[in-house]
Amino acid sequence: MTETQHGTRGEARPAAPRPSPAPGAGGTARARRRSSTRIGPKLGRFSLFALPGLLAYVVFVLIPIGMTGYYSFTNRNPFNPPTKWVGLRNYGDLLGDQEFRQALVNTVIITVIVAVFANVGGLLIAMLLDRPTRLYVALRAIFFTPVVLSAVVISVIWQAVLTDDGLLNSLLRGIGVDDPPGWLSDPDLALYSIAWIITWQMLGFCVVVYLAGLQGVPRELQEAASIDGAGRFARFRNVTWPMLAPALTINTVMLLITGFKAYDQIQVITNGGPGAGTTSTMAFQVVQTAFNGNHIGYSSAMAAVMLALVATVSVVTLRLLQRREVTQ
Amino acid sequence: MDDRTHSWLRPLVAVFVGAAFFLPLYLVVVNVFKPGAEIVPHPAALPLPPTLDNVDAVLSRPDNLFTFGLINSIAVTALSITILTVLSAMLGHYLARSKRVLAKVAMVTLLCGLMIPVPVILEPITGVLKTLGLMTTLQGLILVNVGYYVPFGVLLFMGFVRSVPLELEEAAELDGASKLRVFWQVVFPLLRPASASVLIFLGVWIWNDFLTPLILLGPDSGTTVTVGVYRAIGQHQSDFGAVFAFMFLATLPILVFYLALQKNFVKGLTGGAVKG
Repeated sequence: MTETQHGTRGEARPAAPRPSPAPGAGGTARARRRSSTRIGPKLGRFSLFALPGLLAYVVFVLIPIGMTGYYSFTNRNPFNPPTKWVGLRNYGDLLGDQEFRQALVNTVIITVIVAVFANVGGLLIAMLLDRPTRLYVALRAIFFTPVVLSAVVISVIWQAVLTDDGLLNSLLRGIGVDDPPGWLSDPDLALYSIAWIITWQMLGFCVVVYLAGLQGVPRELQEAASIDGAGRFARFRNVTWPMLAPALTINTVMLLITGFKAYDQIQVITNGGPGAGTTSTMAFQVVQTAFNGNHIGYSSAMAAVMLALVATVSVVTLRLLQRREVTQ
Repeated sequence: MDDRTHSWLRPLVAVFVGAAFFLPLYLVVVNVFKPGAEIVPHPAALPLPPTLDNVDAVLSRPDNLFTFGLINSIAVTALSITILTVLSAMLGHYLARSKRVLAKVAMVTLLCGLMIPVPVILEPITGVLKTLGLMTTLQGLILVNVGYYVPFGVLLFMGFVRSVPLELEEAAELDGASKLRVFWQVVFPLLRPASASVLIFLGVWIWNDFLTPLILLGPDSGTTVTVGVYRAIGQHQSDFGAVFAFMFLATLPILVFYLALQKNFVKGLTGGAVKG
C-alpha cells in the first residue's frame, strides 16, 4: 500500500522523465542522480507491475533451465547419491547413444513432415475456402476444431482409427483389401502415422493464418495483374504468394516448435514402439530417462541438446523467412 | 478452375475435403451415443435410437476419475488464466512503456521462453516444487503454469499496449490518479481484446496440457480431465463407447468456452498474423 502512496506523490510532480529530449538509459540515470526521491516511485512501480510476473518466470523457467544446464555436467541420480561433477562425460556418451540418435532422427522426420504438409495443405485449403459465404465459414470451423482439442484426445481418436482392427482397416477390408497395413504396429509405418496425426491437428491453424493473409491481399493488385495479362498461376506466384510471406513465417516457426516437442502422441499411442524406439522422439527420450530411469544427469544433457537444436532451428528459420518478408 | 464456368466445382471439392477431414471426429460423436456392442460392427452408423449409457457410465464411475478431474481442470484452468491475464497485462504494459535497458533485457529473456519445451525444464521444476512444499498440489501446478505461459501473455499484451495512446495515461496522471489506478481504470479496460485472446489461447492450452499435470500432480492425488482420458484408455482399451464418452465430456467444457469467445480468438490470432 505504501508503494501506491509513494507513486501518487511522485507522479504529482510535473518533471516526468518521459518527455525528456534524451530518452534511454542515460536520461533516466541523470534524472535519478538529480533527485533521489525518484528512486522510490520507480522501484515501487517495478515491484508492483513487473516483479510478480518476472518472479514466476524466474522461479519456474529460468532457474530450472540453469539447473538442467548444471545437472548435465553431473551424474545426478536421486536414488544413487552422491552427485558428482563429471564434466562433459554425459555429452560424450550422447554421441555414441544409438537410442538418442534414433530419437533425434525420428524428431527431425516428424518435424519436416509436419512443417511441409501442414503448410502446403493449409495453403491449399485456405485458397479453397477463401469465399465469404456461409458454407465456407462453416467449413473453416470444421478445420479449426482439432486445434482446440487436446493432443491426448486426438491421439485416442486416431488410435481407434488406425489400430490393426480399427475403423480404417475394417473399411479397407470392406472394399476388398485383404491384408491392410498395420498403421501403428508396422515399425516402418508407425512414425509416419504419428507425423500424419500431428499434421492433421495443425492443419486448421495454418488454414486460419493463411486465410487471414489471403484476405490482406488487395483486390486491386489482383485486378491490375489480370489486366496486365497475368494468368492464374502467374497471379498467385507474383502477387498472392509474396503477400503471404508473414503467414508463412508464423506457420513454419509454429510447426517447427510443435514438431520438435512432439511427446503426447507417442506417450498415448505407441510408447516409443513398435520395436525398439521406432517412434521415440527427443522429448519422449528425455522424459523416459528422467522419470523412469532417474538418470537426471544424462537426461539433462539430452534436454540441453534438444533446447539448443530447437532454439537454433527456430531462430535461423525466423531470420531467413523474415528477411524474405522485408525484401518484398 | 475459372470461377464462372466451374462454379459448382469449388463447393463440391470443399465439402468433400471437409467431410473427409471431419470423419474421425464424426466417428467419436456418433459412437458416444451408441450401445457398446454396436460400435465395432457399425462404426459409422448414426446412433438410432441414441443412448446415454456411455455418458452415464463415465459420470457414475466408482473412482470418480471424471468428476474429480473435471473439478481440478476447472480450478487449475480458471485460476491460471485469471492470474496470467492480470500479471502479463501489468508486465506487458510496464515493458512496453519502460525505456530502461533492463526492461529490454527482461523482454528478450521472456521472448526466449516462448521456445522452451516443457520436458527440458520439467525435472528441475519438480525439484523447485518439492523445495516449496507444493509438489502434487493444484497450487503448484497453477504457479508453474503462470511462470511457463507468462511470456506468451506478455508478447500479446506488449503489442497491444503500443496501440493505447500514452496521452490517455498522462491525462489521468495529471488528474492525480495513482499508477495502479491509471492501469486498472484506464489501461486495462482498453486492453480487453488482448485480454480475450490471452484468456482463450491459454485457457485452451492449459486445459489440454498433458505432460505437466501428469508429472506434477502425480499418480496418487486427483488429476485433470485431460490426464484422465489417458488413465481411462489404460483401463478399458477395447470399450470404445466408454473411452469416447470420456473424451467427449472432457472436451465439452473447453469447446463451449472456446465457442463463446471464438470471435475474439480468431481476431487475436490473425491480428498478430497480418502485422507479423
